[in-house]
Amino acid sequence: MNAEPPEQGSPFLRVYVWLVYACLFGISIPWYWPKAEITLWAGVPAWVIVTLLSSLAISCFTAWLLLYRWPEDPIAEGKRDE
Amino acid sequence: MSESQLPFGLGGFAVIALYLVGLLVIGWFGRRAQTENSMRDFYLGGSGIGFIALLLTLYATQYSGNTMLGFSGRAYRSGFTFLVSVHFMISIIVGYLLFAPQLHRLSKKYGFITPTDFLQHRYRSNAINLLGPIIMIAALGNYLLAQLIAMGRALQGLTTLPPETAFLAGVVLLASIILVYETLGGFRAVAWTDVLQGSILMLGFGALIYLIMNRFSSISETTLLLMNGSDSDYTKVLPPDAHGSRRWFSYVILFGLGASLYPQAIQRIFAARSQKVLQRSLAVMAFLPFTTALIVVLVGVIGAAHIPDLNATEADQILTILCREVQAGSTFGYWLVVILFAAILGALMSTADSCLLTLSSMITKDIYQRFFNPSASEALLTRLGKTCSWLIVLLLSGLAVYLNQLESKPTLVRLLDMKFDMLVQLVPAFLLGIHWKSVKPKPVLWGMITGLLVTFSLYGNPTVAQIGVHSGLYGLAVNLGIVWLGSRSS
Repeated sequence: MNAEPPEQGSPFLRVYVWLVYACLFGISIPWYWPKAEITLWAGVPAWVIVTLLSSLAISCFTAWLLLYRWPEDPIAEGKRDE
Repeated sequence: MSESQLPFGLGGFAVIALYLVGLLVIGWFGRRAQTENSMRDFYLGGSGIGFIALLLTLYATQYSGNTMLGFSGRAYRSGFTFLVSVHFMISIIVGYLLFAPQLHRLSKKYGFITPTDFLQHRYRSNAINLLGPIIMIAALGNYLLAQLIAMGRALQGLTTLPPETAFLAGVVLLASIILVYETLGGFRAVAWTDVLQGSILMLGFGALIYLIMNRFSSISETTLLLMNGSDSDYTKVLPPDAHGSRRWFSYVILFGLGASLYPQAIQRIFAARSQKVLQRSLAVMAFLPFTTALIVVLVGVIGAAHIPDLNATEADQILTILCREVQAGSTFGYWLVVILFAAILGALMSTADSCLLTLSSMITKDIYQRFFNPSASEALLTRLGKTCSWLIVLLLSGLAVYLNQLESKPTLVRLLDMKFDMLVQLVPAFLLGIHWKSVKPKPVLWGMITGLLVTFSLYGNPTVAQIGVHSGLYGLAVNLGIVWLGSRSS
């Protein structure tokens, strides 16, 4: 039916990638902070700082994946192997 | 003159006029660079664009008038919890991991021009080829309409003309400029003007944070002011409650999957000159929410601390209100606000031009050529695409002016919300189509239809609103279930 079968096994689909994302998003979404009192770090709400730092970690991880784990072209790979 | 108007003198207007004329000149250069009268040349710039152009066109397209005007208003009303915007802008880049490498490769191999070309390549189903672009055209039309409305409002804040006249003038002037440079140079004109608009946008965001922090207060002083203010002010430093946290999570998923499937963004993936260019551009994009969305959130929160008690419509104008105060402070402040205003125009126009170009390519290629005239020549299709752009702008500008006259005006963010619920229904067709060999066209089609029906039927449902998860995600769950079960059983 389709002209070319889909590519299998992208490095971006590995389990560890999405486990890392689950951890980072789990930390950065501030669902676990108490509402009753505000903790301040350097005059700024602590939850804001944690959210921003963990968001930065998500950006770093994403950039690393994009730059160093980009799926190789299977055709080009095949040609190199020949 | 109202608080939300910026008193620009002759110098400020001259700079803005120069900037707008510059866009037309770039359009003319885009026309000169045209190598052939083909759709690929007009809609993707021929062999593609390099790192700087791709990065800035992705940036200028992704960060729109909504980012500067709508987001600052939302941050004013919600406080620090609108940091969700930083999160969901990052999640769009995470979403690209799921399909960008494969789509880029396939587009180069098979000469894709629109996202529907992938659907045709993968499923060869006329029904999917019709429903897919209809969803994307509806979402894009919605987005373009939001930009046109924001263009009118931007000029309302700049002149002393009657509001309705200023709105009309803003829409007509800015939309006409876009139409002229886009008709002249197609994708090259859009991408090259995005380089100028994206650069000014970056400069504008830098100017914005400098201005606001310099004129008003630091984040710690802002926090203190809000904590010592009214009960409503105090809530703006609190983390989200359970409902807010679920909504936050929902935004991350909806944007990560839905916004990454924006057809104009997919066309930029096709237009990247090489894999390396695409990798580097997306890697830089992963950090840009910190130089854009974060700054706008801080502006909104600082505005809430210093100018409390604005109503919802006034809150959407908090950026203009703050700028007016800064502008009155010094000559330096005046010129920085001029740059900032040029950046706002750049954000609006760069998003609108990308939407418009993609819309015209999809109507021409995916609808007209595929269903009405498969043997149409490239020259005819390109000419038709240009005519189509003018008609779309005419229609949507009229709608923008009409909506502006209504009593209950749709807020920018509400417009933004609707299209992702629709776009996210395309996720199974693209993601599963790329990664899962066994996915079949019929389940994909029925999944899309059912997902849309579920999404629309849940709009305004009080239970769904109480839970906080977007209705599009319920639709997506049903959609995925149908595709999964249907493809396994057939």
